[in-house]
Amino acid sequence: MQLVEKIIKGERAAIAKAITLVESSRENDKNESRKLISELLNKPGKSIRVGFSGPPGVGKSTFIESFGRYLVEKNYKLGILAIDPSSQITGGSILGDKTRMIEISKNPNTFIRSTPSRGSLGGISAGTREASIILDAAGYDFIFIETVGVGQSETMATNLVDIFSLIVGPGSGDELQGIKKGITEYADIFIVNKNDGDLKSEASKTASDYKSAISYYKKSNDTADKEVLLVSAIEQTGMEKVIETIQNIVSQNKKNKNFDERRAKQLTYWIEEEVREIIQFNIQNKIKADGSISQLSQKVMDGKIQMFEAIEAITQNLQNK
Amino acid sequence: MKTKNSENYTKWQKSFEQETKIDLKEASSETDEGIEIKPVYTKADIENLSFVDNDSLPGQFPYTRGPKASMYTNRPWTIRQYAGFSTAEESNDFYKKNLKSGQKGLSVAFDLPTHRGYDSDDDLVMGDVGKAGVAIDTVEDMKILFNDIPLDQMSVSMTMNGAVLPVLSSFIVAGEEQNVNKNLLSGTIQNDILKEFMVRNTYIYPPDPSMKIVADIIEFTSKEMPKFNSISISGYHMQEAGADNVLELAYTLADGMEYVRAALSKGLDIDDFAPRLSFFFAIGTDFFMEIAKLRAARTLWYKIMKDFGAKNEKSLILRTHCQTSGVSLTEKDPYNNIIRTSYEALSAILGGTQSLHTNSFDEAIALPTDESARIARNTQLILQNETGVTNTVDPLAGSYFIESLTDELSKKAWEVIEEIESLGGMTKAVKAGVPKLKIEESATKKQAKVDSGSRVVVGVNKFKNPKEPKVDVRVIDNNRVRDDQIKKINDIKASRDQKAVDESLAKLVTAAKEDSNLLARSIDAIKNRATVGEVSKALEQVYGRHFATSLSVSGVYGKHFEGDEDFMNVTKKVNIFEEENGRRPRVLVVKMGQDGHDRGAKIVATSFADMGFDVDMGPLFQSPKDVAKDAIENDVHAIGVSTLAAGHKTLVPELMKSLKEIDPKSKIIVFVGGVIPEQDYDFLYKNNISAIFGPGSNIIESAEKVIDLISDKIHKNN
Ligand code: B12
Ligand SMILES: Nc1nc2c(ncn2[C@@H]2O[C@H](COP(=O)(O)OP(=O)(O)O)[C@@H](O)[C@H]2O)c(=O)[nH]1
Ligand SMILES: [Mg+2]
Repeated sequence: MQLVEKIIKGERAAIAKAITLVESSRENDKNESRKLISELLNKPGKSIRVGFSGPPGVGKSTFIESFGRYLVEKNYKLGILAIDPSSQITGGSILGDKTRMIEISKNPNTFIRSTPSRGSLGGISAGTREASIILDAAGYDFIFIETVGVGQSETMATNLVDIFSLIVGPGSGDELQGIKKGITEYADIFIVNKNDGDLKSEASKTASDYKSAISYYKKSNDTADKEVLLVSAIEQTGMEKVIETIQNIVSQNKKNKNFDERRAKQLTYWIEEEVREIIQFNIQNKIKADGSISQLSQKVMDGKIQMFEAIEAITQNLQNK
Repeated sequence: MKTKNSENYTKWQKSFEQETKIDLKEASSETDEGIEIKPVYTKADIENLSFVDNDSLPGQFPYTRGPKASMYTNRPWTIRQYAGFSTAEESNDFYKKNLKSGQKGLSVAFDLPTHRGYDSDDDLVMGDVGKAGVAIDTVEDMKILFNDIPLDQMSVSMTMNGAVLPVLSSFIVAGEEQNVNKNLLSGTIQNDILKEFMVRNTYIYPPDPSMKIVADIIEFTSKEMPKFNSISISGYHMQEAGADNVLELAYTLADGMEYVRAALSKGLDIDDFAPRLSFFFAIGTDFFMEIAKLRAARTLWYKIMKDFGAKNEKSLILRTHCQTSGVSLTEKDPYNNIIRTSYEALSAILGGTQSLHTNSFDEAIALPTDESARIARNTQLILQNETGVTNTVDPLAGSYFIESLTDELSKKAWEVIEEIESLGGMTKAVKAGVPKLKIEESATKKQAKVDSGSRVVVGVNKFKNPKEPKVDVRVIDNNRVRDDQIKKINDIKASRDQKAVDESLAKLVTAAKEDSNLLARSIDAIKNRATVGEVSKALEQVYGRHFATSLSVSGVYGKHFEGDEDFMNVTKKVNIFEEENGRRPRVLVVKMGQDGHDRGAKIVATSFADMGFDVDMGPLFQSPKDVAKDAIENDVHAIGVSTLAAGHKTLVPELMKSLKEIDPKSKIIVFVGGVIPEQDYDFLYKNNISAIFGPGSNIIESAEKVIDLISDKIHKNN
């Protein structure tokens, strides 16, 4: 496949087209996408995939710009996938992340792709996982995934990334009570942003709130410690500590096999999901083709048969096809 | 007990309802500001007003009726036309001609590189030199600009905010080298950075150091330049960016309060600097509202300054320059603009402005020609000399409608001012992006009204001219200007005392670090022939360059079109497109070069998203190369270039080249919107531009055209 070679060579347009393909909702594209991904999985790169989630406006994009600037100076190659919410009313979207990533988007060692979330409420969009495989094969050292909201932390951590970090703002410690369980379980790093100017003392307080919250979390012996870090994206402070922490977690998890296990679990989960999707798709097609549902439901309405009988008959019928 | 008044009113109401067959309650209209306009006003409407004092006279507090007792009966307003283009030589020529023809004051328009602190030889400004104003790189340019114009006699206004230090310094040194001491210089420096962050977009440094620079200038001028206005607190650009009159008025005064606080923090006494604060408002098409706005502005500023403890009467009085609205002027049937401008000018005069700029009829096409500038100037000369408007001070005082509207506007604006104050003042509000977003929301609503036809714009959405006239345009060859400027810069750099330059720049950097007054230090550097760019860069080392974060409104445009057929037709097409292509049509909207006009780009982006497009929004000031990288990485179907500052002939071909460099087989289509003279259409089409959307384009129609073009392209490729 020519596309694969171009991706591995790092051709920008090919990578971009490939991401379009894996994000496509068109049925024809899905098989092609699966083929492409299968081939790319045979040629894995060395990327570390890091997720950044957090509520809108905490500074995720600004942080990625700032942290990214720090990393490209050290000659790392960065792939960035930013997922923006689509409007639930119109289905359209304004993808504005790049207005916060001005410097790094000029850098030849970055690839930045914004993606509308489409159905999935600002969380992970269809194709994010595949897109990260493409960037991995293309040779990016880090893949950053920006998503809105804390609700996705579980999916994000279990499906997609090697390290999951939650970005929060000063003063968000109060909301901690409600969401404690989910995040303490899934987040590897808590980044308290906007540690600057008037907000400094509030930011420190928030950091200690998070520290005490994660102390509840019973740590199993072999996982890396969760960390709470203070940064200012605007003043570009705290960045060394973030990369250090990421590298520590990676090396520790690699040592104790957690890293590979997590990826293996993700793969299993992914295959299962794909299978589910295919079956669901097939069934849907069968249902569309099969006229018996409306006939039988009419019979139910008319009181000729009972509902459960109708269900049984339809299921039988579909399974036999 | 019924008074005669209320009896009359009841009678009138009956007749009104008979004539119109409309219930009086239903007969009011609502302005953009949300103010109810009634069919008739009576004495009852001017009883118990909150801000207006019906008994006050011109030149008396609260100065509603004018800053001076005699107003135009003594001396008419100053005709002050804003102009500048190409080189200092050409602009100087233009100024001298205008002064001979009856213009009274000068007002300098700088080009965008100068505004943003770049020298003409900087790669970043390739397409912008001399295009939308005059290029000034060194004090030598400034001296040429005022050649044969004695600076001790001519009052000069300079619209400069970002690079205010080197430019004001150049002006001061140019005066000195004309043998005019700085204490004799009269005029105004705009020096209003807050509205730059909001709408005008020629900032350089982040908000906090920028505010320090403003305060330094107020401090320096209040001590050394008694005849010079240290700031022109501007609402003009807000209205032009889409603000309604309440927002314009409130944000401007709130900005003013912030500058007063900044100056006070320097330890100055309020009465030492407040008399030299001046204002600048836009005068749009809403005739009475604009008159009321100027009257309300003076009324509120009086109250604000009283609250600050000002004692000198001059500190309490708001003096203002006005400019008729450029955005009300159309590309279509452009001679209509002469008429619009005349009415707006009359509004400004009835409102009591101290000076006025009237726009030329080719406003939406290019910079004015000699001919169009002459007509614009004559609009004011006719008002002054032929109509009798100068004979009576504040002739509309006592009008039930005007007084009531003045009070209503004051009340509404005061609420908004209190809102901003509760956020901690304008600097904080601006950092949070609140005012910018409010203005964009208001702009989007206005666009929706015009696109839906609920607001009539003659010649654009109604009463179109079937035979559009051809008009001449001023053409500026930016490559030639740039070459000239580079040559001058090189000559100066070769002949100056480099050591002195380096030392003075180092001292400037130290001053910035130590927080001492920067204007004095920057005057030294400029005297030594440091360039505008060098001075700006020196400070950039300390402060960094500011990048704005841009928020977007959503749903405002779409809401106006609920159930609209044309709108739904486009959304339907978008949905079909998605089904066929597995994704929505995706468009990258960009601004390239130093052009900071973002109103159109922001409106188009939000409206397209409301119609279901996926819209990538680029930041301001991108290079064509950056745009190409963005477009290709995001695999967009199309790039929409919004260009208003005349950089298109340089920047668009560059973009096409950059796209091919990254992807020789790129299928991305490119279209262009904004201010493009018809004379340039062929050139753009030859560069493979797929469509051009000029001023006044209906966004729904544009969106349909864009999706059709994208679909065609896809079908052709398959
Ligand atoms: C508003 C305005 C301003 C505002 C801008 C506010 C803002 N944040 O945008 C303010 C007052 C700040 C301003 C300042 C200046 N301005 Co001005 N400004 C205008 C004005 C009056 C209207 C522009 C506008 O916003 N129209 C409303 C919007 C909605 O229309 P639009 O942008 O044209 O967009 C429509 C279409 O063009 C099209 N479209 C546009 N983009 C796109 C993109 C896509 C994808 C699509 C599909 C369609 C599309 O659809 C839109 C909807 O109809 C024009 C003259 C005019 N009447 O056009 C001058 C004008 C553009 N300005 C001009 C100048 C010179 C300046 C300054 C450089 C002056 C100076 N020397 O200091 C400054 C600097 C500003 C800067 N940073 O760049 C000149 C440019 C000269 C030229 N091209 O030759 C003009 C033409 C006036 C003139 N004749 O002198 N300006
Ligand atoms: N004070 C401060 N503001 C920040 C910082 N990082 C981001 N912001 C601001 O927070 C707002 C939202 O930032 P953005 O990156 O778009 O947030 P996102 O929605 O999480 O991606 C912007 O106005 C930023 O300027 C920071 O470190 N300090
Ligand atoms: Mg973001």
